[in-house]
Formats: sequence, C-alpha cells, structure tokens
Amino acid sequence: MTDLLALVVQQSINGIYLGCLYVMVALGLTLIYGVLNQINFAHADFVTVGAFAAFFTVTRLGTKVLGLPDTAAYLLSMVTALGVGAALGLAINAAVFAPLRERGDELRPLIATIGVSVLLENFQLWLFGPIPYQFDSPFSSETIRIGRIFFTAQSVLVVAVSSSAIAALYLFMKFTFVGKALRAVAQDRETAGLMGIDPNRLIALTIVIASALAGMGGALLGPVLVLTPFAGATVIVKAFAIVIIGGFGNMQGTIIAGLLVGIIEAFTVQYLGSGLIDLVVFVLLLVMLALRPTGLVAERKEENV
Amino acid sequence: MSARFAALLAAVLVVAMLPWLLQTPYWRGILVLCAMNVLLALSLNLVLGYTGQLNLGQSAFFAIGAYVSTILVKTYGWNFWAASLAAVGAAGLLGLALAAFAVRLRGHYLAIASLGFAVITYQVLVNWEKVTEGVRGIYGILPPVGSTIGLFYLVAGIALLVYVLIDNLVRSPVGDTLRAIREDEISAASLGINGALWKAFAFGLGAAIAGLAGCFYPGFVGTLVPDAFNIIESFTMMAMVIVGGMGTMIGPVIGAIVLTFLPEVLREFGEFRLMIYGLALTLVVLFMPGGIVQAWRTLVGKPITGNR
Repeated sequence: MTDLLALVVQQSINGIYLGCLYVMVALGLTLIYGVLNQINFAHADFVTVGAFAAFFTVTRLGTKVLGLPDTAAYLLSMVTALGVGAALGLAINAAVFAPLRERGDELRPLIATIGVSVLLENFQLWLFGPIPYQFDSPFSSETIRIGRIFFTAQSVLVVAVSSSAIAALYLFMKFTFVGKALRAVAQDRETAGLMGIDPNRLIALTIVIASALAGMGGALLGPVLVLTPFAGATVIVKAFAIVIIGGFGNMQGTIIAGLLVGIIEAFTVQYLGSGLIDLVVFVLLLVMLALRPTGLVAERKEENV
Repeated sequence: MSARFAALLAAVLVVAMLPWLLQTPYWRGILVLCAMNVLLALSLNLVLGYTGQLNLGQSAFFAIGAYVSTILVKTYGWNFWAASLAAVGAAGLLGLALAAFAVRLRGHYLAIASLGFAVITYQVLVNWEKVTEGVRGIYGILPPVGSTIGLFYLVAGIALLVYVLIDNLVRSPVGDTLRAIREDEISAASLGINGALWKAFAFGLGAAIAGLAGCFYPGFVGTLVPDAFNIIESFTMMAMVIVGGMGTMIGPVIGAIVLTFLPEVLREFGEFRLMIYGLALTLVVLFMPGGIVQAWRTLVGKPITGNR
C-alpha cells in the first residue's frame, strides 16, 4: 500500500468514527424537527448530562458500588446515559414543548430551550465545577492493526453501537405500529389525530427517543470530550450543520451528512489543522444552502425553503 | 407638544440624570453596557420583530464593527470616527451578504444559516491571527472619550437617535412594507412588494446598527478577544428582544435594560445567578409570550393596537 492510500484509508476510518458520534447527536435534532417542526437548543446539554452520567457510572456506580469490571462498567454507562437522556426529554417536553405547542410559533420554543440550556449548563457548573473531568473507555487502550491501518476497539464499539441504534430506530419507524403512527403525525398531525392517534403522546415519545440518543451519544463521546458543563456546545453547532446539510427532518440525509462531516473533519485535521474544522464545516453549510437548500436528500419541499 | 415629543424629552432627561443616580464607577460602566445593549436589541428587532426574519447571527455584525474600527485605529492609525464609519459600512455590507441567504431561506433554515454565519465570523477572528491577533486579543484600546460618563452620554445619545430613526421608519410606508413581509411574504409579493429588496434593506440596516454598537465596545472594555462575540451573544440579543416585546419599539429597549441589570442584581446569588437567568428566560417565554410590553398592556387593560 502506498503512503498516500494508507493515509486516506486511515483518515476515512477516523472520519467514520467521528461521523457516527455526530450522527447520534444530530439524529435527535432531526427527529424532533421532523415531527414537531421545532429546534431544541438544550439538546447539546443532554449530551453533556449523558457524558456526566457515564462518567459517574464508570468511576463510581459500576466499579465501586456494583464491583463490575471496567468493560462492563463502561457498557453499563451507556445504559444509564440513555436513561438520563430519556428522563430529560420527558422533562423538557412537559415544561416547554407541550405548553408551547398550541401557539404554532417557531421562535418562542427556540428561545425557551435556550433558557433551559443556560439553566442546565449553570446547574452542572454549580454541581461539578469548571475543572474538566476525564474518564477513559477501557476499549480505547486496545489497538487493532491491519497492515498500516490502526484503530482502537473503542472506535469499533462506537460504530457498532451507533449503527445498531440507527438500525433499531429505522426498524421501529418502518415496521412497528407505533412507528407508523409517528410517521403519520410527522406528515399531518391533524389528520393523524382524526385517525385515532394521540399526537401528544407520540410527540412526547419522539422527544424522549431523541433525547435518549443524545444521552447515549454523551456516553460514547465522553472519553474524547473535554468534559465540562459546556462540552455539549462544541458538538451541537456541528450537529446543526449536519442536520441542515442533510435536510431538516430527513433521517437518511442526516446520517449521510453526519458521516460526511466526520470524514471532512478528519481530513481537515490532517491537511489544514484542527483550528479550522468549524470554519470548513460551516462554509460547506453555507455553500450547500446556496446551491441546494433542500439538503442532500430532498424530501420536504417549498415549506421552509 | 405631541405625546411622542414629550416622551422623547422625558427619555433625554432620564438619560441625562442616570449617571448621577448610579454614582459608582462600576454601575456607570454597567450603564454604558446597557446603552450598547439597547442599540443591539434595536438592531435585531428591526430584522426579527418587524421583518420577521429568524436571525441568530447578529453577534457577527457586532464583532465586525468592533474589529474593523479597532484595527483601523490601532494598525492603520485612522481617526476613531472615520474608522467607525468604515466599520459601520463593513458590517452593513456583511448584512447584505447574509440577506442573500435570507432571500432564499425561511424559518429555521435561516436561523441555522445565520448561526453558521456567526460561527464562521468567530472562527475567522480566532484563526486570522495576522490581522486579529487571534485568541491572544488586542490590548490597550482607548475609548473615543475619556470618562465613563462621557462614553455613556455618547452611546446613549446615539441609541436615542437610532430609536427615533427606526421609530419614524416603522411608522412610514416602509414599516408597513416590512410588516407585510413578516405576516405573509407571498401576499406581500402579490401586492407588488419586492421581498428580496426589502429584506436586504432590513438586514443591511440592522447589521450596520449592530456594527455601530460594536465600535464603542472595545474602547469601553479596553481589550478585544473573539470570545466576546461568541454565538451566545446572539442568543442574549434575541432574549432581550423577546423578553421586552418583539415587534414593538419600546419592548427591546426594556428587554435590554432588564437583561443588562438582572444579572447584576442577581450577583449576590453568586453561582445561582445564571441559573436564575436561564429559568427567568424560559418562564417569560412560557407565561408572557408577548414579552413585558404585552404583559403591561394586558395589566392596565389597554387593547393591543396593531403591532407597532
């Protein structure tokens, strides 16, 4: 294998790994948008809270309280992060989205979630302090080597977990009755209501699923984040870019765009330097909006564009 | 003497008296900040409140005003006022660039595009070290007038002037045009309104005013770092407009004053301060959807006339 080819393959693998992490976060945003036409700015903080839940599971609950081995404790941390994320989703739906839904306004829920975001960040700052926390996944130290390509067991785990989560979500949406009802609500809330579907419960379910994904994303991101109460904010701007590049509310588009942004990021780090990542991603976003505002996979039409 | 003239006169009097009511240097500094925030809230309200464009990128124009004016003064030795004029122009032009996107995008798409605009501006400030000094920042920036009181009178005077200008603008047929675009762009177009042109006008003017506020910021704090223009700044401006009352003239002014002083008043709560701030923001949106202005009108039983 030539040097260049090895480098390209190596960076593509790194990019897919990063991309899977982003997809976990961006998918929740897109799900909520698809069903509710709302943006949840506190989504970033759900990622942070998930990461902190994972931290305490790995360092305290799993290892000290339950006496699990490191690997089992890390796997358990994904479950606790998922649960914590789901609980937050339930809470923000009850507090913000459900009461504001009637008014059919796109701006106020957005501002209300910005308020929730400020509240959550500063609550965590009070609870955990500003000094970064660090925990490592026991899978990060195991390196797998194929020829000249290296990757860690952690990256395999991340790709496996996120693709199973995506596959499970897809199967749920496509083949279960509740999934079908959800798609009906996304398409036309009123008509779905007339068919005997309770849109309120399904919207709550969507927000819970989306937030659970964000929490679990936090557990997966935890080992690579500088874990402070503001950690999620660094990921969320990219998640927004991904959601737009993929086409708001479009799951397929979000997955493709997430992987694309991950790969672009890996190559930007290689060739231009890590300081320029956000710049490159957002210039891509604006170019994309100028050329093809419906997103990579066009589905929703004139409505927003 | 008309009611509007009387109100203006009262505002001038209050502004003139304020530095004598709040005498410590600390509170006088907060006053300057408040006047700047009023300018920023007015600028965003023109785009968000009157033209109905979801703009999360206003911090970019504030940044451009601050950096262009400072660099022209510090590196090229320009006079402050000439540099400010150029900075306002630069911010306005950038506003037109964002308007090019606003012409094609609506709602949340525009929100994220404008957010991206602010992120790019921030990243350029961080990375273009040759010109902006990056995260190290620019130090030792002098304000255009020596005393804090002088600076307050200057910025507050400009804010008053801008208020009167925008107030007259939104009462004119131009204001009706902008509101028509806000309410229904397609109906507006069918009445012969050129939506693209007027959106560009609102974005350009809004950006120029934010840039103007930016000219005074570096001299006031003495240093200039990119972190002062984080996207959080855009959210803060938006919060001011919403909390006060979007699409009204006095609303954003009240919002800017409340949200500048609220964190200061809450300072004794220490680390709970920003938690209370976040909670307050959420509660205002939940329970006072029209902001303080609408809540007040409901309280005193005045019918809400139009959305002026």
